[in-house]
Amino acid sequence: MVRRIGCYVLIAVVLAFFAVPMLWLASAPFDAKPGLGLRWPDWTLANVSATFDHPYALTSLVNSLVLCAIATVVTTVLAALAAYALSRVRIPGRDLLLYLLLLLSSVVTGTAAMVPIFVLMLQLGLINSQFGTALVIAGGMLPAAIFILKDFMDAVPRSYEESARVFGAAPRQVLGHVVLPVARPGVATIFVWAFVNAWGNFLLPFLLLRDVGQQPAAVLLRTLYDEGGSADLSVIPVFSLLYSIPVVALYLFVSKRYGFRFHGGVKS
Amino acid sequence: MDSSGLGVRRAVAFVAPALVLVGVFLVFPALWTLYIGITDYQLTGPAAAHPRVVGLDNVVNAVRDPLFTNSVWLTALFVLGSAVVGQNALGFALAWLLRTVRPGLRRTVEGLVLLAWILPGTVVAYLWFAVLSRDTGTLGVLLGSPQTAWLVQYPMTSLVVFNVWRGTAFSMLLYTSALAAVPPSQLETARLMGASAWQTVRDVVFPHIRGHVLTNTLLISLWTANDFTPFLLTAGGPNHRSEVLPVLIYRQALESGQLGYASAMSLLLLVGNLAIALVYLRLLRRRA
Amino acid sequence: MAGITITGLSTVYPNGVRAVDMLDLDIADGELFALLGPSGCGKTTLLRTIAGLEGAAEGTVGIGARDVTRLPPGDRRVAMVFQDYALFPHMTVAENIAYPLRVRGVAKPVQRETAVRTAGGLSLGGLLERRPGQLSGGQQQRAALARAVAASAEVLLLDEPLSNLDARLRLEARTFLKKLQRELELTTVFVTHDQAEALALADRIAVMDTGRIRQLGTPREVFQRPADTFVANFIGSTPMNLVPRGSEIIGVRPEYLAPAAEGLFTGSVSIVENLGVTSLVTLDCGEDQVGYVVPEDQEPAVGTAVTVAAPAARVLRYDKETGLLVR
Repeated sequence: MVRRIGCYVLIAVVLAFFAVPMLWLASAPFDAKPGLGLRWPDWTLANVSATFDHPYALTSLVNSLVLCAIATVVTTVLAALAAYALSRVRIPGRDLLLYLLLLLSSVVTGTAAMVPIFVLMLQLGLINSQFGTALVIAGGMLPAAIFILKDFMDAVPRSYEESARVFGAAPRQVLGHVVLPVARPGVATIFVWAFVNAWGNFLLPFLLLRDVGQQPAAVLLRTLYDEGGSADLSVIPVFSLLYSIPVVALYLFVSKRYGFRFHGGVKS
Repeated sequence: MDSSGLGVRRAVAFVAPALVLVGVFLVFPALWTLYIGITDYQLTGPAAAHPRVVGLDNVVNAVRDPLFTNSVWLTALFVLGSAVVGQNALGFALAWLLRTVRPGLRRTVEGLVLLAWILPGTVVAYLWFAVLSRDTGTLGVLLGSPQTAWLVQYPMTSLVVFNVWRGTAFSMLLYTSALAAVPPSQLETARLMGASAWQTVRDVVFPHIRGHVLTNTLLISLWTANDFTPFLLTAGGPNHRSEVLPVLIYRQALESGQLGYASAMSLLLLVGNLAIALVYLRLLRRRA
Repeated sequence: MAGITITGLSTVYPNGVRAVDMLDLDIADGELFALLGPSGCGKTTLLRTIAGLEGAAEGTVGIGARDVTRLPPGDRRVAMVFQDYALFPHMTVAENIAYPLRVRGVAKPVQRETAVRTAGGLSLGGLLERRPGQLSGGQQQRAALARAVAASAEVLLLDEPLSNLDARLRLEARTFLKKLQRELELTTVFVTHDQAEALALADRIAVMDTGRIRQLGTPREVFQRPADTFVANFIGSTPMNLVPRGSEIIGVRPEYLAPAAEGLFTGSVSIVENLGVTSLVTLDCGEDQVGYVVPEDQEPAVGTAVTVAAPAARVLRYDKETGLLVR
């Protein structure tokens, strides 16, 4: 009996530990006198309009959208093609390639590669390029995406493709009519995962998009803090909320549809 | 067997675009770090236009540099405290406790823990500013010591607590599925013999999940050592007291402009990552 | 409608194993042909080579008057039903059946009309809007057949068409398949490891082992005069008696042996197995065990001494060294 109470007390503490910091996101955006702390808000919507009036707020959200859209589409398409080929065809060196991809994705992190990437983009003249930054982000996500998608492709029964081929389908049709529809949950998972990753990515845009008008929300949120030395707390909370919503919505959508299952230590 | 009818040539064409991107943005930078690390390349000034090769000078200087050794020490503290101990223990505790709890409560707790993980980094930084700042910060108010500027007076502790909050979700999910794989009959046998919770964990559960503990620890340590989020909270301050390696590299490269020097440090980090990743993959293979 | 001509065909696996070894085979137009053998004998590989899913290392495959050896599967005008039916789970039954037409770019209304017509012919009428996952095993098999029929191919290939069905269903499906093939008059080749199935269905059978054909003939020929001891052993619900005598091996089916005053084998009854309408009695003849079949209610007691004989035409002699039938 004591054990049960102790268990619930612990859970209550943990619950509080995780919930309390998040409450700020519910109160500060609608507080007429917002502060860096929890307080019962003077309910108002004035902050929301202040945020919309801010010159860069909405722009940066659009930037985020563009950046993430490019990175996500590039990652998903390239990873799907590569995963399909690697799953079906015995290319020489395939196993070694897969191992190296896995190794790469763990070892070459944004932090470890920030200097050469910065220099590379500097010399290519791609600083402040949305497209360039999106490609860098995609490059970082590709190895893991290929790995996960390959597992999904492996699970598509080979008889489906052979059947389609016997009935006259060209490889393009086999891929479009049969393989992709059957592998759709996997592709959707990668799509969402890539989007969430790109949306939250701070370091690479921070490094590579120096012009305020180009910055995605992740970076602008930081810039708002730095500008003028003290935080503009009428804008920051609302903006944080706006910025967080897509990610939370996607997470809810995916977990409702597919559930978060674990798969050898990798979210799937 | 090639059931797709693609053939080797078309298959290579399918793989090539992905490999090009990976090659340009992952492989090449990793290798180039090697090169930049042995020059005196800088962001501005004469060394920017004409960098000279200085061999291992950068590496030697780094090892001798008190800033660097300080950073390595702080990073080790950070990893040990928040990942090896913090996330592991809390993740396991949650996985264990939540097994026997009502589904509704379980989903709520898991949902909140997961939310902490998926919220964007910059937002999370603000959430914790709101907790840790002087005068109005929630922690200060709760503990009755609002004058404490936690991030200034206890920077590393703050970072550790923050990172435990941030990253426990992964360990929790991993241990949940690992625990689900422990044969219930063994757990029930232990219970029938009157084993306490601690004894059950030690004697029945741990042997089954030992492999998972090790691989999980390696993975989250790797992630934590490379995590840039501390920059958002303390930017290395006050006075380098929370300057973990990612922050040091950034400041050396882009604030001080010492690209060559920062590269040498990045190289050391890459080597560290490589060592951990190799062990991790070897363990995974052995398990499969 | 076309016959299949195979000459000198060899298919080699990447590890060097010859799955099909210098094979010659002629399948007549409109024939229902069985490839029979144990697992690993190459029968499925042969089928897939005819389909074009495996490449031939040597030899040729002809369908009708065309040499299709180098053609991709889609150009060979064959239709194939796989062991797991390979119905596309994300398409309805109607869309599955119409798929061969969709690939060729046939207009949607024609696709639909063909699907309805073909489904009707196979008693799938009310199931057109369902997904394969909602069909029973027998319905799935018919749907896969419907898709193959809709393809209007010259040759139909079936890979173990009945093995995924329950035992009871299998017999019904067998009759159904035979009737269907008669109606369509479509050259059909099917692979099976079940000798009873091959005997019941096929017009002719090729018994295969390690990539070669051991015997090619009608079910009657294969059953009554197996060409070698391998075939003799493989064919028949009850194993054939193969008893060494001198430099030869005597082969007699248990069904052809009956108790007689004088005969081939004498021994004492050791085991009696009930087979339903008949029983299998095993005689212990010293060094050999000989089985014979008696009608129900005529089983002898264990230990009785019995002599059995068979009509001369049913007694086969095989060479001990080669295993081949002695003429």
